[in-house]
Amino acid sequence: MVRLEKIEYKPMPVRDLLVEIKDLSELMIDLAYSAALFHSHELAEEVLELETHVDTLAYILKMNTMLAARDAEDAEALVGVSIVASAANKISDAAADIAALALREVHIHPIVRDAFSKVEEQLVRAEVKSNSILVGKKLGKLELAARIGVDVIAIRRKKKWIINPEENEVISNEDIVFARGAPQGIEELQMIAEGALQKFGD
Amino acid sequence: MTPQIQEPFAKIVKKLVELKDTSELMMDLAYSSLLLSSRELAEEVEALEEHMDNLHTEFELLVLASGFRPEDSKDFLGLIRLGVVTENIADAAAEIAGVVLRGLEPHPILKDVIKEAEETVTRVQVLKTSTLVGKSLRDVKLPEETGMWVLAVRRGKKWMRPKPSLALKAGDFLIASGYAEGREDLKKLASGESVLSE
Repeated sequence: MVRLEKIEYKPMPVRDLLVEIKDLSELMIDLAYSAALFHSHELAEEVLELETHVDTLAYILKMNTMLAARDAEDAEALVGVSIVASAANKISDAAADIAALALREVHIHPIVRDAFSKVEEQLVRAEVKSNSILVGKKLGKLELAARIGVDVIAIRRKKKWIINPEENEVISNEDIVFARGAPQGIEELQMIAEGALQKFGD
Repeated sequence: MTPQIQEPFAKIVKKLVELKDTSELMMDLAYSSLLLSSRELAEEVEALEEHMDNLHTEFELLVLASGFRPEDSKDFLGLIRLGVVTENIADAAAEIAGVVLRGLEPHPILKDVIKEAEETVTRVQVLKTSTLVGKSLRDVKLPEETGMWVLAVRRGKKWMRPKPSLALKAGDFLIASGYAEGREDLKKLASGESVLSE
């Protein structure tokens, strides 16, 4: 039998919850296609974990919108919020379905995968090790886009997701960095994050 | 795009890219329709949903007609499933647009949430008085002129990808994204109120 975690009510601003659900669902779509097309188990696992997280957020959002409605007028105004949240949650479910194609026996035909992956930008998941030159640096200062042509789209710090990180975000040891870009740049980023490469090659 | 792969795969890939792009375009349009309380954008989402249904059917037929061998069936099942997922995403986008089509004034929270993304999507119609008529997308250089990127062109019931060689006709609808400032510039160009710089 499947056991689902009980979700307790937490007072949280509906706005913040919705921003997070929307941002995560969009990130998940990107990660999921990449997982399925490049057959990446790691990316797929991240997507599946995010899906559970988004489900939890969606429950908490529902409880908070219910409490926010005091009369019919409120209910009319809030129903849109609830519909959009559930649509974003549906999108995250769709992302999980795509990601699952990298994990199960049923997967995308290899010829199609090859061809498709040529027209898609690749995503990378890189783990930052303690001896990496990235540790302690501000994202803006690293100028990854100019130097190696990659764009950091998210950082996971343990259970916390930072989506579209800002320039002053400091990279820490054990961060998981998600980036997109040209294959060469992506490879370089991975090596730099792991500490295998100690400076940017030119 | 992929010159070396043989049929039926080339066709399947092309259709799959189209399904993926269309479902993502619908998401962008749907969120923008909320932000701008724009019925016209929401209507485009609705129209795209119908288009998506057709694309999806064409895709499924291509996969089924590919003459796969029994031992490859799992690889092809994956393709079918991927098609279904793009359709689910399109449905979700249609639900979002439905909030606008029902005439619900989007809650301030919704506008606030979407505004975080700085870019918006807009729809403009090319009028016969416009200097865009008869020129290709390559020649009109809309990104340079207005800062707006064309995501799709709709001609009557037909949706087209914005290939550089595509020549614009009077009556075409351009769906474009970019910063809010570019929207007015694009509108003026499309209506003929302003003209392309030489």
